[in-house]
Amino acid sequence: MCGIVGYVGSKDAQEIIIDCLKRLEYRGYDSAGIAMISDGSISLKKSVGEISVLESIMGNMEGNLGIAHTRWATHGKPTEKNAHPFLDCVGKIAIVHNGILTNYMDLREQLVKEGHEFASETDSEVFAHLIEKSAGDSLMSEVLAALSKVEGSYAIAVIKNDNEEIIVARNESPLVIGIGHRENFVASDVTALLKYTNEFVHLQDKEVARITANSVEIFDLAGNSIQRESKRISWSVEDAERSGYPHFMLKEIFEQPQAIHESLLGRLEGQEDELPFFYSRVGSVKIVGCGTSYHAGLVGKYIIEELSKVPTTCQISSEYRYSPITESKPLVVCITQSGETADTLAAAREARKRGCKTIAITNVLGSAITREVDTVIYTRAGPEIGVAATKTFVTQLIALYLLALRVAGGRNAITSEHRREIISSMRNLPRLAQNVLNDAERIHTLAKKYKDAHSMFFIGRHINYPTSLEGALKTKEISYIHGEGYPAGELKHGPLALLSCDTPVIAICVRDHTYEKMLGNVREVAARDAPVLAVGIEGDIDLDKFAEDVFLVPEVEPLFSPIPIIIALQLFSYYLALERGCPIDKPRNIAKTVTVE
Amino acid sequence: MSLKAVILAAGEGKRLRPFTYSEPKVMIPVANRSLMDYVVRSLVSNQIRDIIIVVGYRKERIMSYFGDGDDFGANITYVNQDKQLGNGHALYVAREHIDDDFLVLPGDSLVDAKAISDLLSVGAGHGALVIESDMQAKYGVALLERNRISDIVDKEIEGATNIVLTGAYKLPASALGAVAKFVEEGNYVLSSAIRAHLPEMQLQPVFCQGLWIDAVYPWDLLEVNHAALADSLVKTSGKLENGVLIQGKVSIGEGTTIRSGTALYGPIAIGSGCDIGPNVSIFSSTSIGDNVTVEPFTFIKNSMIMSDCSIGPHSYLSQSVLGYGVQVRSHLMASSADSYVNLEDEFYRVSNIGTLVGEDCQIGNGVTIEPGMIIGPKSRISSGGKVTKNIPTGAIHS
Repeated sequence: MCGIVGYVGSKDAQEIIIDCLKRLEYRGYDSAGIAMISDGSISLKKSVGEISVLESIMGNMEGNLGIAHTRWATHGKPTEKNAHPFLDCVGKIAIVHNGILTNYMDLREQLVKEGHEFASETDSEVFAHLIEKSAGDSLMSEVLAALSKVEGSYAIAVIKNDNEEIIVARNESPLVIGIGHRENFVASDVTALLKYTNEFVHLQDKEVARITANSVEIFDLAGNSIQRESKRISWSVEDAERSGYPHFMLKEIFEQPQAIHESLLGRLEGQEDELPFFYSRVGSVKIVGCGTSYHAGLVGKYIIEELSKVPTTCQISSEYRYSPITESKPLVVCITQSGETADTLAAAREARKRGCKTIAITNVLGSAITREVDTVIYTRAGPEIGVAATKTFVTQLIALYLLALRVAGGRNAITSEHRREIISSMRNLPRLAQNVLNDAERIHTLAKKYKDAHSMFFIGRHINYPTSLEGALKTKEISYIHGEGYPAGELKHGPLALLSCDTPVIAICVRDHTYEKMLGNVREVAARDAPVLAVGIEGDIDLDKFAEDVFLVPEVEPLFSPIPIIIALQLFSYYLALERGCPIDKPRNIAKTVTVE
Repeated sequence: MSLKAVILAAGEGKRLRPFTYSEPKVMIPVANRSLMDYVVRSLVSNQIRDIIIVVGYRKERIMSYFGDGDDFGANITYVNQDKQLGNGHALYVAREHIDDDFLVLPGDSLVDAKAISDLLSVGAGHGALVIESDMQAKYGVALLERNRISDIVDKEIEGATNIVLTGAYKLPASALGAVAKFVEEGNYVLSSAIRAHLPEMQLQPVFCQGLWIDAVYPWDLLEVNHAALADSLVKTSGKLENGVLIQGKVSIGEGTTIRSGTALYGPIAIGSGCDIGPNVSIFSSTSIGDNVTVEPFTFIKNSMIMSDCSIGPHSYLSQSVLGYGVQVRSHLMASSADSYVNLEDEFYRVSNIGTLVGEDCQIGNGVTIEPGMIIGPKSRISSGGKVTKNIPTGAIHS
């Protein structure tokens, strides 16, 4: 998925284009670029990374006409060379493209033979050279000639150094034209432009348009004029891409079964054994991360130790540099959703300096962390827009289960029978996640009951101790209820003093070796009159004897219980926030990606 | 002005139970795509991209599948119908999004692009898509006069025709006024409102030349699946071990492994992330969803296996449907025969039917299920069990 923006008018085009491009960032943000026309020449700036990176390097570009592009590479490397826009050989034409050309190999070969020089590996660049080659009497006729040669899908925008116009065309890729007053816009979707206009012309497949500051003319591929009225829409900027969901967070919570499925694809049968040497002699593991990624790391400690018996520690990224260099060199696992978290990048560099092997777990292909480590496990969660991490946390856990299986396999710490059982349990995870979601209404009802609390405690033991930390974090950041996660055994060493009938306790009670002790903790809490919401496993008939409320997730192996349980707690914090009227997708003072240390 | 389409997808589709336990009928997968997927793609093929979907029951399943329509080349708006009162009411809640001629159609039939272009053949006029059939007429049958629909009646009444309404119409915006009047008076049936305004609307009957199949009962799914597979495109990815035999149209999804000695006789569709074999035989017309495992020496014929199922070794499944996440240990015998199927205490004679298993059932080792049984969702059948009557939701059978 990629995003396209264009502007022609009398205002400072750069500022408007970058602002619109940012609204398309959900369509991808691994590289971006902008081309502007001023004084009869094209200026071009590109960069790898988010649009903010482009912003920081591009400087002030003059002009009232320009096009820009943001990219989310899922195949192939996001490099500056492969970032849009592309120029022709003499730098007079610039294009941006979203889509896939199926016959570009032939076209490219032909163009190279004719002496055209290509700067990138992309299919898109052939557009620039085809247009250059056409040399017609107008840019429109040149674009039409080029389009007659290509096959595949495209949304393109084209500018030429001595023209005050943008030519756009589409086939099977999205493109809309925004109508302003003495200015016009183009973008991949209406959300990018809603701040500037609510009047749109929808270009249809196999149509071309010539856009100037004062006019929009539409043609078919044969150059025949087409009449189309513009439409006004009543959307707000916010609700367009949420696909019917009231918030991104809820949309993303409901995407988790699919995200888990994607993250497992092709990885369970040992097809993806990149760098097997990595796992053969791992003596210890150190996991670093911040925020939710740190919590994933804490769960990872239990997963790796349980499956491979390799001692594992977990540390907050910003603290790693202060820890002493140990005699044995641990495998260092760096977890960051965006791949841009400054503290985790610094930790990865430090680990390398110390001579440790490093692995990153990240969601963004080609992000900064991928250049700092030896190997990468990608979580295939897709773009996450809600500030509260949900599907990326769950897919980070998936990556950690996969990593633990590799480490265990490399050391022969696991029998093939046990391995098969683990794989079969992992195959059940998408369905498990779906079944928790199918019960969302029940969690909503519970949230209505607990919404007025000022403070909550989340307790768990063993692998669900970090789950309780993550549940507490979600509650803090989304619903502004003071939530505190605790190992259940630590209650009596302090926090019990804070409990009263106004401090609900969310107790994670999984039927494993911690169960009896957890029941003891629940009784301990209930004796202080604190209402207990127990989260347990289906089939448990004892919990409601001790707890005020019980929510049961489907039956699951204890090692995998954090997944359904955190989904239940995500929903709980979401509905708490909803009932309290909090701004769920944009909590105060928090940014999605923290690129400062 | 481009034509908009309203797809009615808010109802559960109760008659398709047990397969509507956690998702609406429109989302039931046939040839591994939801029923409404066919509707949306057929509209887009006819350049109808502005689509309004009326959602209600388990709406998240629909919204997560279709998103904002980008992946389908469509521009989808969702409208929520809180209470599923009727299809007239569903259209009523979408009325603010329509200001010109529009299409309205149910989301739960298997359709192809031809069926939609048939309906569009009325040009600037208005019409109703009909089929000549002896099947059940959920939306009534049409009486004709001079190539116009003169009345809409129940199939059961005297003088009824076999011209069955599919529920798909091209209507003028003014029809919304008629619908609003009926809804506000408490009549929520779309055909009642249309019937009352037939003289003004001048509806042409459009006989469907394309594909239009509705699954009325759960066992109809097999026939719908068969038709969808016949119409589907083949794309193969995943990994095939040595000694896999493939004949006919077989689609295999990304990240799927087909192991040695497995024979696949198409048409078959297999989703992504599956692990099948070694030595499994699958015959036409079978759909297997995503993330399904099928273990050695299992035989599957003309069946639907939905996503996240696992089927243990030495099992036999014929003319059967397994809902999401069904787990079969080993040696399941689910054969087919002409049977009387008990659906909500009414008996239907169904030819050559196997078993219909609701989602998340767990079936132990060596279970035999007699033909024509309906197994409720989340039930458990202990090892060695013999099932001779339907099992209710969540029950334990031993």
